[in-house]
Amino acid sequence: MTTDRELEEILAEIGREHRAMGAPQRLEAALRAAADSRKDAIGARKPRLTWAWATAAILLAMIAASGVIWQTRKGESPQHQQARSVPAPEATGDPRPSARTTTRDDAAAVSARARKAGADRARLQEASTKQATANSLDEFVPLPASEGLPPAAELSVVRIKLRGSDLQQYGLDAPPDAVARTMLAEFAVGEDGLPRAIRIVR
Amino acid sequence: MFERLRRRRLEGELSDGELHRAALAGSGEAMAALYQRHGGLVYRFSLQMSRDAAVAEEITQEVFLALLTRIDRFDAGRGALSTWLCGIARRQFWKRLEQNESAGAFDEESAAELECPTDGPAEILLRHEAVAAVRAGMDELPAPLREVVILCALEEMSYEQAAQVLAVPVGTVRSRLHRAKARLAGLLRGEMADIERKRR
Repeated sequence: MTTDRELEEILAEIGREHRAMGAPQRLEAALRAAADSRKDAIGARKPRLTWAWATAAILLAMIAASGVIWQTRKGESPQHQQARSVPAPEATGDPRPSARTTTRDDAAAVSARARKAGADRARLQEASTKQATANSLDEFVPLPASEGLPPAAELSVVRIKLRGSDLQQYGLDAPPDAVARTMLAEFAVGEDGLPRAIRIVR
Repeated sequence: MFERLRRRRLEGELSDGELHRAALAGSGEAMAALYQRHGGLVYRFSLQMSRDAAVAEEITQEVFLALLTRIDRFDAGRGALSTWLCGIARRQFWKRLEQNESAGAFDEESAAELECPTDGPAEILLRHEAVAAVRAGMDELPAPLREVVILCALEEMSYEQAAQVLAVPVGTVRSRLHRAKARLAGLLRGEMADIERKRR
């Protein structure tokens, strides 16, 4: 037992001496240099990363800019955007297939305009004919055929390809040079399926 | 002066994990701080195991370079960096030993049966002779027993820490340490008896 205790004491003494020993200082410089060389390696990789980030940033900026432009255009002429987004059925005179629904404000405005237009319908007819020939994209013109119809609570815009001669069935006169021509027109159609107004797209 | 302050901050305030990350990012200062913190342990362990200062230096350098290259291995959440480094040093030592010589198969059972060569008290044994005898006895211990003595007795690691370094169960550490001490005690008794005989 004495030897065991003595052994413990001796081991403790050896341990104290042992732990007093430090690591050789000359290794520190080598290890420091090894770590620093990683910094150089990382630094060499950085330009490539920077270019990648710059390219990504430019792409994102382009996408954002195109989005802003699109939103701005949309905000400028919502009615036109609606008209463009409507798929155009092939030359049929029937405006019933409803594609889009306008807001109540739009409907009220068109209906009010239709009522007001009753007084000087002849002038509007003339104007619409002019528009048809000028390939314009302008305001809706109330249809003579819609006279007497109740004001529509909701209106849908339907884009239709038709001939100039087809305008006659809606109470409009087409100029002689436009009779045989195909044109794109938009009809404001009430919830009852009857057209209230028209405008010529091109 | 600023450099010294910065270094003191690196050495004292930052954790091993933070220093390791900084070293990986290319901070030589962080690497130096890690070496100052743990280099002694790794070097001492390597020196005691190899009994060769040049080999111990090489092992120490390889161990710390492994910190930069084997970044996926060290996980600060799973254990202390000191034990991880010591484990690497141990593997390096064993690899060298296997390359240079046959380490000799270590049989746990036969090691358990080691007997003390002599019996008897040693009242008159001088302290420095006893220390020299134990040192010599440690050098003669099989490597698996010697590494346990170094870690537990000299470095004062807990059994759990030593088990982590050696990648063995805690029970194995306990039993190996017990056998190593029994053998050293036997050697010590023999040495003491020899000295007593000479004095007569």
